[in-house]
Amino acid sequence: MDGEKNRFVHDLRNPLNTISINAELGKLTLERTGDVRKAISIFETILAECRQCSNVLEELNNTRFIRANEDDHQ
Amino acid sequence: MADVLLVDDDKRFLEATVQLLGLLGHTVTAADSVAQARELVSTHQYTHMILDLILPDGSGLHLLEALPTKNKTKITLITGHPSIKSIVKNLYGSNISYLIKPIDLQQLESLFEEKKFPASQQSSSVKLHFNNLVGESEAMQQVYKMIERVATTKANVMLLGESGVGKEMVAAAIHYASQVEGDFVAANCGAFSRELISSELFGHEKGAFTGATYRKAGVFEQANKGTLFLDEITEMPIDLQTNLLRVLETQKVTRLGATSSVDIEGRVVSATNRTELDIAEQGCLREDLYFRLAVFPIHIPPLRNRKSDIPLLVKYFLAGFNQEYDGALDISSASMQRLVDYDWPGNVRELRHVIHRAYIMADLQENLLVLPEKLSSPFSKVNPNTSSGIRVGKTVEEVERELIASTLEHFGGDKRQTADMLGISLKTLYNRLNSYGDVEL
Repeated sequence: MDGEKNRFVHDLRNPLNTISINAELGKLTLERTGDVRKAISIFETILAECRQCSNVLEELNNTRFIRANEDDHQ
Repeated sequence: MADVLLVDDDKRFLEATVQLLGLLGHTVTAADSVAQARELVSTHQYTHMILDLILPDGSGLHLLEALPTKNKTKITLITGHPSIKSIVKNLYGSNISYLIKPIDLQQLESLFEEKKFPASQQSSSVKLHFNNLVGESEAMQQVYKMIERVATTKANVMLLGESGVGKEMVAAAIHYASQVEGDFVAANCGAFSRELISSELFGHEKGAFTGATYRKAGVFEQANKGTLFLDEITEMPIDLQTNLLRVLETQKVTRLGATSSVDIEGRVVSATNRTELDIAEQGCLREDLYFRLAVFPIHIPPLRNRKSDIPLLVKYFLAGFNQEYDGALDISSASMQRLVDYDWPGNVRELRHVIHRAYIMADLQENLLVLPEKLSSPFSKVNPNTSSGIRVGKTVEEVERELIASTLEHFGGDKRQTADMLGISLKTLYNRLNSYGDVEL
């Protein structure tokens, strides 16, 4: 179970990291250069990564690993 | 700005971080595999390397092994979990930084912050007063008190002290204590040629003289709203001192070749290694300029008058050299005692020089400084065999005669002043001079 859990954590942490860095980049781009087109493309990257996170969570929801845990709690 | 190698296989992260670091003013090279990074580090030395721990063709740690020993590159590992820190620390020591995902700007910026004080100076127990001065002796406490007082005012300060006592450090301390907006700018009046001194002090316009190919702000303008330190003020040609006086009086500077003036404010800290008496007698500083500059004179004690500070200064310098040369040398108590016993005619500068030399000559088996067999400065002014002064073998009459002669000389032959200074009556003075047979009545 642990291996599977680690894989999920890894799969979520990486897009979160990309979101974080791109959010900082978007902020700094607007502050320092005022380049709106560049900022928009950065926000698109952030949204794509959010969808990626959502997919991972969806997958997580359907796995035996979560359901097994839920069964334990019931 | 930093020259960074960034190694990560997550392309989106890599791309965004390259741009982010670029916006922060750093130069960044990106690599997405160990092999590519290995090639890059073999041909170029980066100031910083930021590595993902797990890469498709191996671990980021393999790259560390590829670096030459004594490499100065600062290493940072990107990791998903803080627990990785302790594992890596055991393997590669504590000299590695970490970025914990998700990474934000604050984390990234902290990698490039230079520590304000070198680590060794922080860890050495020597206290820095006003960020510049070392010493806890009574004589230095007096100096600190003066600095504290003058820092709250706008008064110009004149620093008096022998060569090597640290006048520039005291000037920097005054600047630090004053918490002013402008910069600390130091200029040595003895170092400028006569032709260039005005341009250095007051600046010039383009074309003001042959060779003035660009406009230049003088030190007064550079130190605007800050502190201007004029070292060796008494070495400035006397006829040029009027220009300096005018600037101090009007608080306006006119660049050479300019038609209008610039307002300036700030404190002038000047320094000389002559005594006040010398300044007055030798006429090396205009009287009116002296009163402008020496609103608040501070006498900096010679090192021999604050011997209790010698161990602190030694510790401080030693920590600095240990940091610079990445060493861990110490000093034996016997060597320390020799340093305390010596009279340091070249003051703190000479002490630092001796420590530096002893550091280079150190005994690396014992990890101890090795002092030269004889401590002496070629510039030492102390000469026990000069003819004047008291020494064993002179008669009381000889000493008295010399004292009278030099006091008389000091007052330009004025016998009344001489008698007053010596605490004898005018009549007694005449009697003495008579007995020497060299009085003109």
